[in-house]
Amino acid sequence: MSSPAGTPQRSWSPSTAVRRAIAGERIELATLLERRVVFVAGKGGTGRSTMTAALALLGARAGKRVLAIDVEAKGDLAAALGSPPAGFAPRVVQHDLSVLELRTDESFQEYLNIYFKVPRVTRLTPLARVFDFIATGVPGPRDMLVVGKIAYEERRKEPGSRSPVWDLILVDCAAGGQVESHLGAAKAMLTLVRGGLIRAQVEWIDALIRDSRRTTVVLCALPEEMPVIEAIELHERLRMGSGVAVDVCLLNRAVVEPVTAAHRHLMTALIDPEHAEVVAQHLGGSPLPLDAGLELQAHLYDTTARYLRQLRNKLPMPVVPVPLIVDRTGLTTTRAVADALSNRLG
Amino acid sequence: MSAEQAGYVPERRRSVRKEAAGLGRRLAPLEVVICCGSGGVGKTTVSAALGVAIAAAEDKRVLVLTVDPARRLATALGIKGIGAEPVRIPKARLRRAGITIAGDLEAAMLDMKQAWDRMIERYSPDRLTAQRILRNPLYQRITDSFVGSHEYAAMEALYELHDAGEYDCIVVDTPPSRNALDFLEAPSRLTDYVGSRLLSLLSGGPSRFGFRAMNFAAAPFLRLADRLLGAEVLAEVSDFVQQLQLLYDGIQGRARSVSRLLRSSRTGFVVVTTLEQGPFDEAEFFCTKLREFKMPLRAVVVNRVLPDVFRDAGGVAAATTLVEDPKVAAWLAGELHLRVSAEAARFIGKTFLSRNTLAHREARQLAKLGRLGEVPIVRIPLFSEEVSELEGLVRIAKTL
Repeated sequence: MSSPAGTPQRSWSPSTAVRRAIAGERIELATLLERRVVFVAGKGGTGRSTMTAALALLGARAGKRVLAIDVEAKGDLAAALGSPPAGFAPRVVQHDLSVLELRTDESFQEYLNIYFKVPRVTRLTPLARVFDFIATGVPGPRDMLVVGKIAYEERRKEPGSRSPVWDLILVDCAAGGQVESHLGAAKAMLTLVRGGLIRAQVEWIDALIRDSRRTTVVLCALPEEMPVIEAIELHERLRMGSGVAVDVCLLNRAVVEPVTAAHRHLMTALIDPEHAEVVAQHLGGSPLPLDAGLELQAHLYDTTARYLRQLRNKLPMPVVPVPLIVDRTGLTTTRAVADALSNRLG
Repeated sequence: MSAEQAGYVPERRRSVRKEAAGLGRRLAPLEVVICCGSGGVGKTTVSAALGVAIAAAEDKRVLVLTVDPARRLATALGIKGIGAEPVRIPKARLRRAGITIAGDLEAAMLDMKQAWDRMIERYSPDRLTAQRILRNPLYQRITDSFVGSHEYAAMEALYELHDAGEYDCIVVDTPPSRNALDFLEAPSRLTDYVGSRLLSLLSGGPSRFGFRAMNFAAAPFLRLADRLLGAEVLAEVSDFVQQLQLLYDGIQGRARSVSRLLRSSRTGFVVVTTLEQGPFDEAEFFCTKLREFKMPLRAVVVNRVLPDVFRDAGGVAAATTLVEDPKVAAWLAGELHLRVSAEAARFIGKTFLSRNTLAHREARQLAKLGRLGEVPIVRIPLFSEEVSELEGLVRIAKTL
């Protein structure tokens, strides 16, 4: 981002953020898909895997060669893409879309293989364990391998050509604060590792993460108290810590259809004792339970609106509600979410 | 699974209700109640509600201990803030919110850093060792990042509090674990870590466990690690590890005591979950593991369950007609003498049907809980009216 000559670059201030949030600033889907690496982060249960998968579908639909990476995989991402569990090697799930499941041991083996020519699999166990113990104590190395593998995929070129293998890499981050340690790993390593062969590699990974044109974070939240607070706090820590850019916050499972006066009016008439019998007969059952449905809808709509406001007040980036999709599972849900996202993001 | 199996039969439902009645009373004789479950299921609120229910059931001094950044517990209990010092919840306030407690209710937050520092001080053979560890730049990062470190510190603090005997019953809201197992395995994991041969070998000094021979075998690996990380890092790690190993005996002894307390009949585990797939799977896994570790599971609390009304067959029929019958709006308009839009009719039907789909999914999940064996299962319905935090809490406490 450049500032006009003579104008000092202004830092972000809350008032701008509030203005932007009220205007409901939108982010072009195309902008998001132009990035090289997108980390999808959020508390457990906020639908990270579904969002990652939906963005991956949209990327592939836009003609990008997409790699979706599941960190500390439980197989959720592959499932959301309608695929059986993937492995450490990218697995093609559909045209232009592959999925990879990232595990630390395997990253470590590959790392040694690439940079130290240590053959894979053989006699690595004791070394891997030594490494594991250091890595448990010193936060850098383990996270570094995760980020390192991602950066390596970003850099990978087609054999005999200069064009990259992937246009877009989407990362389904492990739950909670782990994304911070991953994104901050390079920075932490730079203060820790002053020599050694790893230093140079850490430097280019750090540069990749801090480059807001290439790397960004998508925050996921739910219209509930803790996920909202955690998304806000995570954003703040990311901003202070790793210096990575956050493009958008997705409010998942949003209830976006309000209950109007007309709906309430009709409901009241439906359950009016005066007509109850004839209405129940015509409809094939008593409409009384439907009132609970309307109440719940109104309550969830209010809750969504409240948390949407809170997020928009606190986050200096677009906050986009993604409607609750209840009646489908797996790839079908992912497709529905992808459609919703593409409508909302424009 | 067939539809009959999926929907749970009324017979069973009655027995579940009966068993569930008076969870507060059932838990009151215990000295330690540990609430666990994955993040986002309302564990903190349920822990607070259990505290209220226990204090309401019997005249006991109850402490609710949270490791959450406490705000949640404070809001739920309707007080300003909670610190490491226990705060009393005024009886009058609870009475206004609709419940009378016989006992005393207090709440406190666990200060993780303090818990760790005290632990290091307690187990260090001398002050100098303690100071060296506390000053090591790696110390804070290790306590932050070591898998299970928060869990371990929580256990330590719990043990201390229980040992002090100031409270009749301590309800613990456990840290949100990445993996439920971290919590149960924390004590043994820490001893493994501190006492590991690999670490002692890394520490470079003479191994106190007699695995010197491994130094030879490990040399090429260490050289490689050296190239990877640079010599300075390894030196820092090694110094830290050397110091930490001096604490081994103390930590190991305490870990054994903590482990005994967790398995004793004075302790009870309550697993909290929602019916969403992720948390539910984790809860099931957790229950299995508790049994494996011989730790007493006393109840499963299922939070935010859609009320039964959403599975009402008459409601489904009425909603389906509203959504599918193109002439329904016109008929209603004639019958009710009202302007009725097709949209309004469809909307009312649709909102019910989508909740109905979820309610059926939830019923299938609930039916699976039978697999856990003879454990009381308590359902907390999803409330749809706005109430104050404390009133909401009291309502949950009454369900319990």
